[in-house]
This record gives sequence, C-alpha cells and structure tokens, in this order.
Amino acid sequence: MAFNAYDSTLAPGADEPQIHIREITDDVLDFVLSNTDLSVANSLRRAMIAEVPTIAIDIVQIESNTSVLADEFLAHRLGMIPLQSINADRMKYTRDCSCIQACENCTVELTLNVKCTEDRTLEVTSRDLMSSDPKVLPVLSDPDDQGILIVKLRKGQEIKVNCLAKKGVAKEHAKWSPVSAIGFEYDPHNRLRHTHLWVEEDPAIEWPLSHNAVEEPSDAAYDYKAEPNRFYFRVETVGSLPPEQVFTGAVRVLQDKLGTMQIKLKEDDEPENNGFNAMGDPQDGIFNSQDGWNNF
Amino acid sequence: MSPVATASVPSVGCGTAASGNGPAGPQSKTSNSALSGSANNRSNQVPDLAPPQHFSFPPPPSPQRKGLTDPIPTAQDKWELLPAFLQIKGLVKQHIDSFNHFINVDMKKIVQANAKITSDADNIFYLKFTNIYVSKPDRQETSAANKPFTPHECRLRDLTYSGTIYVDIEYVKGKQIIRRRGVSIGRMPIMLRSSHCILRDCSDEKMASLQECPLDPGGYFIVKGTEKVILVQEQLSKNRILIEHDPKGLMQASVTSTTLERKSKTYVVMKNNKLYLRHNSIADDMPLIVALKGMGMQSDKEITQFVVGHNPKFLQMFSESVEEAASLEVFTQHQALEYIGSKIKFSRRVMGQRKPPAEEALEILATIVLAHIPVEHMNFRPKCIFITMMARRVLMATLNPALMDDRDFLGNKRLELAGQMLSLLFEDLFKRLTTELKMSFDKVLNRANRVKPFDAYNQLLCHGDLITGGFVRAISTGNWTLKRFKMDRAGVTHVLSRLSYISALGMMTRIQSQFEKTRKVSGPRSLQPSQWGMLCPSDTPEGEACGLVKNLALMTHITTDDDEAPLVRLIFALGAEDINLLTGGELYQKRGYFVTLNGVPLGLTRRPQQFVHNFRLLRRCRRISEFVSIHINTHHRSVNISSDGGRICRPLIIVENLQGRVTPDHIGRLRAKEMTFDDFLRQGLVEYLDVNEENDATVALYEKHIGPETTHLEIEPFTILGAVAGLIPYPHHNQSPRNTYQCAMGKQAIGAIAYNQLNRIDTLLYLMVYPQQPMVKTKTIELINYDKLPAGQNATVAVMSYSGYDIEDALVINRASLDRGYGRCQTMRKYTTLVKKYPNGTFDRLADPPENLTLPSEIERYGILDADGIAGVGERVLPKQVYVNKQTPTMTTTDLSGTTAAAQMASGAGVVSYKPTPMVYKAPEPAYIDKVLLANTESDQIMVKTLIRQTRRPELGDKFSSRHGQKGVCGLIVAQEDMPFSDQGICPDMIMNPHGFPSRMTVGKMIELLAGKAGVLQGARQYGTAFGGSKVQDMSEILIESGFSYSGKDYLTSGITGEALSAYIFFGPVYYQKLKHMVMDKMHARSRGPRAVLTRQPTEGRSRDGGLRLGEMERDCLIGYGASMLLLERLMVSSDAFDVFVCEQCGLLGYKGWCQYCKSNDHIVSMVIPYAAKLLFQELQSMNIVPKLVLENY
Repeated sequence: MAFNAYDSTLAPGADEPQIHIREITDDVLDFVLSNTDLSVANSLRRAMIAEVPTIAIDIVQIESNTSVLADEFLAHRLGMIPLQSINADRMKYTRDCSCIQACENCTVELTLNVKCTEDRTLEVTSRDLMSSDPKVLPVLSDPDDQGILIVKLRKGQEIKVNCLAKKGVAKEHAKWSPVSAIGFEYDPHNRLRHTHLWVEEDPAIEWPLSHNAVEEPSDAAYDYKAEPNRFYFRVETVGSLPPEQVFTGAVRVLQDKLGTMQIKLKEDDEPENNGFNAMGDPQDGIFNSQDGWNNF
Repeated sequence: MSPVATASVPSVGCGTAASGNGPAGPQSKTSNSALSGSANNRSNQVPDLAPPQHFSFPPPPSPQRKGLTDPIPTAQDKWELLPAFLQIKGLVKQHIDSFNHFINVDMKKIVQANAKITSDADNIFYLKFTNIYVSKPDRQETSAANKPFTPHECRLRDLTYSGTIYVDIEYVKGKQIIRRRGVSIGRMPIMLRSSHCILRDCSDEKMASLQECPLDPGGYFIVKGTEKVILVQEQLSKNRILIEHDPKGLMQASVTSTTLERKSKTYVVMKNNKLYLRHNSIADDMPLIVALKGMGMQSDKEITQFVVGHNPKFLQMFSESVEEAASLEVFTQHQALEYIGSKIKFSRRVMGQRKPPAEEALEILATIVLAHIPVEHMNFRPKCIFITMMARRVLMATLNPALMDDRDFLGNKRLELAGQMLSLLFEDLFKRLTTELKMSFDKVLNRANRVKPFDAYNQLLCHGDLITGGFVRAISTGNWTLKRFKMDRAGVTHVLSRLSYISALGMMTRIQSQFEKTRKVSGPRSLQPSQWGMLCPSDTPEGEACGLVKNLALMTHITTDDDEAPLVRLIFALGAEDINLLTGGELYQKRGYFVTLNGVPLGLTRRPQQFVHNFRLLRRCRRISEFVSIHINTHHRSVNISSDGGRICRPLIIVENLQGRVTPDHIGRLRAKEMTFDDFLRQGLVEYLDVNEENDATVALYEKHIGPETTHLEIEPFTILGAVAGLIPYPHHNQSPRNTYQCAMGKQAIGAIAYNQLNRIDTLLYLMVYPQQPMVKTKTIELINYDKLPAGQNATVAVMSYSGYDIEDALVINRASLDRGYGRCQTMRKYTTLVKKYPNGTFDRLADPPENLTLPSEIERYGILDADGIAGVGERVLPKQVYVNKQTPTMTTTDLSGTTAAAQMASGAGVVSYKPTPMVYKAPEPAYIDKVLLANTESDQIMVKTLIRQTRRPELGDKFSSRHGQKGVCGLIVAQEDMPFSDQGICPDMIMNPHGFPSRMTVGKMIELLAGKAGVLQGARQYGTAFGGSKVQDMSEILIESGFSYSGKDYLTSGITGEALSAYIFFGPVYYQKLKHMVMDKMHARSRGPRAVLTRQPTEGRSRDGGLRLGEMERDCLIGYGASMLLLERLMVSSDAFDVFVCEQCGLLGYKGWCQYCKSNDHIVSMVIPYAAKLLFQELQSMNIVPKLVLENY
C-alpha cells in the first residue's frame, strides 16, 4: 500500500486521539491534542490556516469613487474585511455554481454608498457596508465596535461601490483565512531533543519556559525512541467563524481529502475500472483532491 | 582602563549585549583627541575629571569642585538645539540664503556697477538704472485675473515659476531727464521658499490650500514645469595663497584672483633656486625682482627685507634671485617695465592705438596680475607686499616641505551655491543687455532726422526676452556658458529626483566637485579629517564619482559674502598697524603677526591672542556677523579673518570655565519656545566655526571630555552624518561601506513622496500603498520628517535558510503578507501630448471614437474613449488601447495661394483631411487612467497630460533592501502554512539567509532587529541613533520581561512538517525598503520582432522590443564548443540572412541573376550572407575599394 499513514499512527493499544479544551472564547480556542502523530496535528494546523472556507469580498464594482484612495486600493481594503461566514458551508463556490458570474447561491452582495456632505472628515467603516444577506455581515467584536476603517472622506467626496462576497479558501488569497494566528507547540521541555538550545551558559536561565511547560513533567531522562504526542494549540480567529467551527471545518477538510484518496486508491486496486488512470501516479490523486472540492 | 561596559545582568550572564553600545569609553576619547590636536594629554592633567564612564549618569562629585562650579549635566538635552537649528536653518537653507543674498544684495550691486549707458553718437544722452527689484511670481498672461500664481500650477502647466524684474530708470529724452519706475526688463526664476516665493512663511494650512507639501524643503526652481536644482559646487578658494608643486615639481605659490570684473591666476615659482612671477598674460616667467621693480619697489634692500625678514637662510636662498635681476641690468622701474613690456603675450586690445610696451606692462601689473588687490592711484604698495609674502611662503616651503598647503583641506575649499551661479549668469546677461541697448541707442541716435524725439523706454521694452530666455535656458539645460568669465560648465542643474522624499532631500544637500572624474588621483576622493561635522562621511556614490560627490552633514551652514569695510575698520580699531606704513624689517620682527582679511594682509599686530580674543568677543555679542571667522596660523605668523561666501561652517557650544555655556535652563527655555537658536547665538552660548577656525579650537565630544584647553563642545555627535545616512539605525555598528551602500539605496526606496503626491503629475511616480514608520527610529529621522513621509515597511524577518531559493541574498516572502498588502506599490506614469496649431491655420483635434466599428479588436481598441476623445478617468487600459484619440491634419505646411486652410474650411472650398495620431498604451500589463489634465501652455497650445496608474504586488525578482546596505531580490513566495512559525503562531513576512551576515558585518541590522522586537513587545518605538540609541542591554531586558530569549532568538516550528526546527532562529522586525527596480519594468523576451532599417538586424533594447544579443564572449564559447551550425543560425539565419547573387567571374555582387559588371548571367550563383556583410561590401565599394568574393564548392 502506498500510503497508510493515518492508520499507522494509531499504534496497537493506543487510544483514540483526544482533545482537551483549556479555553474557549468568541475568537480564541486553546486546546491540547493528544494521542496522535505530529503529522496529523500539523495537518490540522495547516488546514485551519488555509483550507477552511469563509466568505470575503472578492469582486468590487465601483460606480463612483472620489475619495483619495485609488480604486484598487479601496478594493483591496474591502477584501480584507472579515465577514461572518457561518453560512459558508451552505454556499457554493462560484466555479461549482451553475450561474455565470454571480447568483444567490454563491454570492452575497454588499453595498457601500457614502457621501460626505458635512464640513468635516467622515470616516467610512465596515459598519457602512449594507449586506443583501443578514447573516453575512462585517464582523464586529462587540456592539460598541466602531468597525474597520475603510477610508476617510472629505466634504464632497463620495464612495458608491457594489461588492460581491464569495466563498473561498486562504490558499487562494489570505483574506479567506479564518485565523489570524495559530499557536502550536509540543514538548515544551525539549525532552525529545528536536531542537538545540542556543546557549551561553545555562539554558535554564537563558531560555524562558513556555506557558505550556506546566502541562508536562520536566524530567531530563532522554528517550531516543519517544515520539511527540501532546500538542498545544491556540487558535485565534479573525471573527469570521467561531474558533470551534474553524477546528471542525479543518477536520472535515482533512476527512474529505482522505476520503478522496481512499477512493482513488480503490480505483488503483481495480485495474479493470480505468486502465489509464490506474497507471497514473497515485500522487496525482492526492494533489488534485487536495482542495477538497475536486472529486473526479 | 577597564573594558567597555561589561556590566552584566545576573540572569543573563552575557557580555555581547553591551559591547560597544554605549557612546562612552576610551574609543570615543581617542577619536576626539585626534580631532583636536593638543588635547590628548589632558586626562593626565585633570585626573579627577573623566574616569571612564560607561553610562550617562554624571561622574561622582569630586571634592575639589563642589558647589556652583559643578558640571551641569546637559548631555541628554543639548541635542534639542538641533531641531531649533533646523527650524531656522533647515536642510536646504544654504540654497535659500544664497538665493536671497543674490536677489536682495548681489543683483543690486551688479546693476550699480553697470548702471549707466551712454551713447557714442550723442554725448548728452544717458540711461541710468537707479534701482532693480524682483516681484513675487506672477502670471504672464495679462488677461488673467491676478490670482495667486502657485508653484504647483507651474508644475502642472509646464510653466516657469518666475517673477518680473523691474528697474527704475532715468534717461534723457530730448533735453529733459525722465525718470520711470517699475520698467520690466525680463523674468527671474524664483527659488521655492526664498524671500520672493509666495510660500515664504506660509502656515501648513496655507501650504495645503496652495497644494504644496509643508514638508517639501524648497530650494529648487520650477522651469518649464520641471523641478530643477542647482547643485552645490565645490571649488578651491579664491584670493588665497596656496603653496604646492607645479606640474614639473617646482615649488610654487598660486593665487586665483577673482573680482567682479576679472578672474586671473598668478604664481610665484621657485625655479633653479630663483624666484619668478608667472602669469598668463606674460609669455615668460618674470624674475620676481623685476616684477617688483616694475611695481615701483626699486630698492633691492627693501625687496630683500620684505621677502627675507631676518632669516639668514632665506637671505642665502634669495640672493640668486637678486643677482639675476642685476645680470639682466634691470635696476629702475622703467627698465623693469620695458623688460616686462617686451614679454607681453599679445596685445589684448585690438581696437585703439597700441600703447608703448612699458605702459602696457604697467597696466597689466596694475589690473590683471593679482587683480583682487586694488591699485588705487598707482599705489602698488599693497600688491608688492602681497607678492613678497607669496615669495616668502615659497622659500619657507622649500626649506620645510611640511608647510605646503593641502588642496584637499576643506578650509581651502569654497562651495558655490545657486545664488553665486545665478549672480554670474545675471551679470553676464545684464551686461549683454546694456551693450545691446547701447548699440540700438547708437543706431537710432546716429540717424540724422528723427520724426519723434528719441525715447529710450521703447527700446528697453524690446529687449525683454534676453534675460528671461537666458535664465530659462541656463537652468533648464544646465549649461552655464559665460564667455565673459571663460566659463563653460555643463551639468550645473539637475532635475530634482522625486523618487522618494529622501532622494529629493539628498539631492538638495549634494555637493558636486569641479574635479575631473577621469583622473586617477585618490587625494580629492578620500575622506579628509577636516570634513568632520561638515560633510557626511558615508553619503557618497560608488564608482566614478566616488568621493567627488559629497553631501552636507546635518548641521552644516554655508556662508554668504559679508561686507568687508566694517571689518577693515574693526581690525584697525582693535590695534593693528597699517601694513603699508611698515618696512620689511618691522614686518618680520619677532612678535609681529599679520592680520589678513580674506587673504589680503592689512595690518600687523603684536598681540595676536589678544586680538583674536577681542575679535571673537565682538562676534559673540553680534557686533559683527556670526559667520565671520578668525584664526591664527602660527607657521605663517598671521591672524586670518574671513568673511567671504561659500565657507563651510557649523555651530558649536562655547565652553567656558570647564563647562558648556548652554545649561539645562537654556534648554528648558528653548523647549518652552522662549528662546530660539538665534538667541543662543546672540547670547554667545553657541557660535559658528568654519573649518579653519575649527582647527584653532579644541572641541570636546561629550561634556565629560572637557578639559582646561577645551574651547567648544559638540552639540550632538550624530550630526557628523548627513540627512540620508541619518536614516540608518545603529550605523556605528556597521562596516562603513554598508552605510555608504544604504545611502545610495535609500534614494531608490519607494514610499511616500510628499503630502501633495496625489495632486502631482510627474513623469514617473512610485508610491507605496501602506508605508510605515520604522520601528527603530533615529533622531535624524524625526528631524527630517522621514517618519511623516516614510519609504518602507517593518517586516518580521526570520534569519534562516529556507528552500534554497534564498541563495545570493534572495529573500523568501510570505504569500499571505503579500495578500494583505505588504510591499504593494503604485506606479504612475505621465504621458503628454500637445494639441498643436500649425502655421497654415490648421490644428490638431481630439476625435470621438469612430462609429460603425465592426471588428471586435477595433471596438476594444477604442473601447475606453469618452466622447471627448480622451479615455475616462478610472478606466482600465489594456495594451494597445487608445487613450487619447488625437488626429493631425495631413497638410500642416502648405499654404495654398494665400488662403489659409481655415479660410478654406470656412468657405467650403476644401476640407482639411486628418490622419490619426492616437496615444496608444504600450506597456505589457493593464493599468488604470488616474488623471487627465487639459491645460494651456505658455505658447498657448492645449496640452493633454494623462496619468496612468498601476498597482503592483511584489513578485519574484522584485528588489528589497534593509537599511544596512543589504539588498536582495524576492526569490520565492511561500504560502503562510508552509512558513516556519513561533510557538505563538507568529509567521515571518520574510526569510533572510544568514549568509548575508558574516562577510557584510552589519551588526547594526542585528541590533535593529533586537530593538525592533523589544519595541514591538513594549509598544513603543526604539531609537537607533548613531553613537547612541537604545542600548542592547535594555532591549534584552525588555525581551526577557516579555518571555522571550534575550538574544532575540526564537523557537520556531517548521510549517511543512510541524517539527521543531533544530536551530533557534533570530526573529524579529526589520525595516525593509522596496526599491524601484521591479521585474515588471524589466522583463523582456522576443521571438520575432522589429529590425533596424540599415542593417536589417534585430533592434536593441527592451523599449524597442529588441533581440537578445549573442555577444562576442558567448560566440567564443560556441566556437570553442564547435557548435558551428548553431552559430550560423544565431548569427545569420535568425538575424539578417540575405540572399545575394554573386558573379563567380568577377567576384562582385549581382542583382536578380544578372552581373552588371560582366553584363552577363552566366556565372551567377545565389547564396546567403548576412545583410550586414552585403552592406559592408557596398560601403567599401563606395570608397573605391572592391571586395571580391571567391567562391568554392563546399
């Protein structure tokens, strides 16, 4: 068998992977993942950063822009605004949708129509974005949140734009990333000797301990056979998705991929199925299905 | 002595953190004593004064000095004088001061000197200029309402920002004298922010309303819409004696005399142990004695006394010269003049009768030789004394070569600024105007019968363009061709580089040397110790102009001319004896010191120290200008006073009674805005020293270095650097060439240019989308407002190797960072076209897009045009699309039988036909129309300026650089999830290869990273000011407090495997600049394409879609490899293959199977040769050389 890593991590006698949640808030999820392999933990991290779909403004139709910012500049700023993406699962990718450019199934329309008529600077923020879908709104951390500043207008300046928000993943553009950062650590005492401490005199003095260090004993006995199996995650989101959904979304992406691969491998085992494809590199299948939507 | 600052924090236990960071310590001390010669043993004299201190707290109080005389710690505060200085003087004040001096003083003097025009035809007639003044910039169009004429309008409309020159005149008309005021004689370009500029003393709000950037330094001109700078020119000082070797190795004293009328160079040379006077207008070297006798100093004894003084050695050396004169039988003045007269090179006066040689000789001696010493009523005494002084210097230097002068010494240099250059130009133009006026007056007055009485005013009005055109031409081309002064300089002006704010600023402080670039001497290029504090040691270009182009340091000021008359009076009032009343014997007695003013000896004093002291006191209380300098030269036994323009000087704090005169109280009042820098000068707390006077001073670098001999205290050490080098954080930790590299690169960084950047329409404008202030600032950055107009971004950098695409300084960049806007920039390019009118009455027109287009390609081609024939603002322009649909008449010159084409059109006799001459977008990438400007030019044509914008995100091959001369291209763009990350989840924006460090030794960059990281964690910007800045130890402590390793290293995990990296990674923010070199502007490839007409070979260069040349060396490789068919293909088949017919009989080229020479087609063969070879044969034939081809079977 070419690839069976997932099974091999579950060594005989080992338990199922475990998750211990240490902290959960609106935008932070802190948990410890244990009883699994490093590769799985890292795959989760990578999927959370790059492959959990969210909604972000993708196309900006500019009707009028007399602000100081150039059109592309403005469009870029609009794209970076996080939108509430709980509905992302129910939306289609535009490329999978039957419509030509945009329809209700794959697109949310947001409009920004602001003009400064007073003799002072007007700050246009994400609060001024009007959405066609009440569930896809710019993220606000609390009711008092001013919103994200988009541009400042002087008297007489006007912005009239129509934004099309689409579903996407951060592999394509970082604006679709649901997370701002993912803290990830294992073996805080470096018992596995994966890293070499750069030291002048005494590592204990010179290297501050991570806050995860309390979770593990600090005994110095070096076991060269040991494998990392406790992983400390701290997922910080940008607000478009709740952190637990980011995590579950990532798991689903991974499962989809593995599922695709299993199908491909099965096709390989049955040569009568498709002679030409079976001869192809099994890598091929992994690669194509990596994005999780491309099941052929 | 204890080593520098190794006080270690117990929890850290490392020594590197503090090494060399504190400004205190022995190194700085030695450098200081090297600067101020005699102070190196002072620590022995005052042992209690300066024990080596590592930190900036004051030394422990010593028992001897307690109470009122205790040193007052001002070390932290005295730098605040710097912003005060810059507020008054500014970085470009030297330009502005010089221009103001010209327009308010020099111009009037020039007119006064050439005020009267008389006529040869009518001796009653005269015209006199009684006054001259320049108005503020005004509109030339008389029809325009007198709205303010702003510099920005000039930039946009391609106008010249100039004011009218008005004169008051007085002239004879008939039999009466008429006076007129305010007669315009031309226009004068006005320097921005000068006394005549409308931006003078404008508030920031006013500036904004005039569309000007309040941070723009000014000091340049706007001529025909382009911003032009007259660079500072460096020259040898005038009217001073300089002892050096002549090209033959003879000892000589040379003087370049410059007066308003004349320039000449005079030498006294020591040849065969005899002294000679050498001058251009005299063919041979004149024996010195003969020259002096010709000037009326007839007694050998007197001459000898003046030259030799009391020194028997000199007497011996001089005796041969005396003998020579005797052997020439020159004894009297007349004999001498006859002798000199016989050697005059040529009669310079063509007109008029020739004078006898003796008289001519006398005149030459009086007016041309050493022209700067006036000869009044044939009193040659001062000039004789000056010549004897020169002779004496030559004798002294022959005995002791150490007394030779150093040409490269900064005190022997003068800087020529815009004012002086314009003054020369104006003088020339004004003199030309007066001669032209005189000629036209003569012409009219010579006419016997005039209908009307002659009115000179009308003539004056006719010559308006001479001065206007002269100024505009000189400034816009940069050619200063003044025949009167034998001056022919090219490249005096440059277009102000607006690539970034820094590049504009750097240009304003640049100094160009007159020295030839081709000469292979190192002297003028090397760093002179006297440049300390005056010129920036780092900021010079690499390559051929290295060391010749310099930059001013932060606190440098350049003087303007000061009136001499009051100084002469003062010199005598201070007790100097008049030199002309003394004999040589008295002159060189033991205690006598010359007093010279601008190189001319005036008096003698027996108490030089007292004299100088009194003089300085008077200067410190501002009885005389603060820029007059005085210093003692003990070798020459002279007290030299200078008041001439172009000297380089800088302010220093005066030290009295072992302490600087500036106290914290003063600084407090300065901070409270109760005092200005001028008050410091007026109260004698601070004074300007020029390079020569600085040599007389003992300057302490820090207060702790003050000793009994100290006379001055530096205001702030980092001011030895210029504005551009001041951007570098911790430059004192870098290898010095790195700072020089950064100075060159800082000018290429993309960033914010000015507050009015979006209103400007420049040929090429690069703007950064999100510029940031650097995390690690310097004081200079704040002073020059770089923090308000930054050019770069703080990138989180991991110093590690990654992927192999980071070799040779390449950078690996995080794709997510680019998505989020890192390094994003806008480029704006201007395209101009004129809608012309032609002499036959036809004119260009802007046409609407053609109707009834059917081809989709045609529709797309005109797709973005509005009805006015110009592309709409905001439209996306694709390559080959038309954005200005201009059409030109097919006939623009023919004028059919007197009727103009316009008339024809009106009468319907003929319709003017037009051909399309559209503006087509040619760049390979699409862009957007940003602005369209329609304006009338000065020549009343409509001008269409289109600004086309492109927004670019960094791509592979784009160039970046940190502020430490470490440039690199983007080698790989990596997805965020593949990037390494810290345990907190922080991803770097950029990965830099650690191999960049060992050989470059840019320790400053490492400290910048450390300080930047500490700053980020603390939430405050840190300082990396030269010779100071945030200390490494403090930074490490902040890191430790925040839970990081003190070394700036972090535990990183691989993004690809999730495994911890085995090495700890140096990780933190570094300020990175994006440089203007971008792949999109350079990428080029071609398969087929245009060919040159003459040779039929592919064209050259990207702009012409040229081919890629297989050069000689590449050809050699292919020959060596033996790939002959490949060679043939590359060099001929894919280049300029050409089928020719060759006649085997005669060997000449035929045509279409026919040999014209043999008149047959029998022996013709066809073959392929390069077209260039065929061309060569034909060109040879045209020169009567017959190349014959001998063909063989192959």
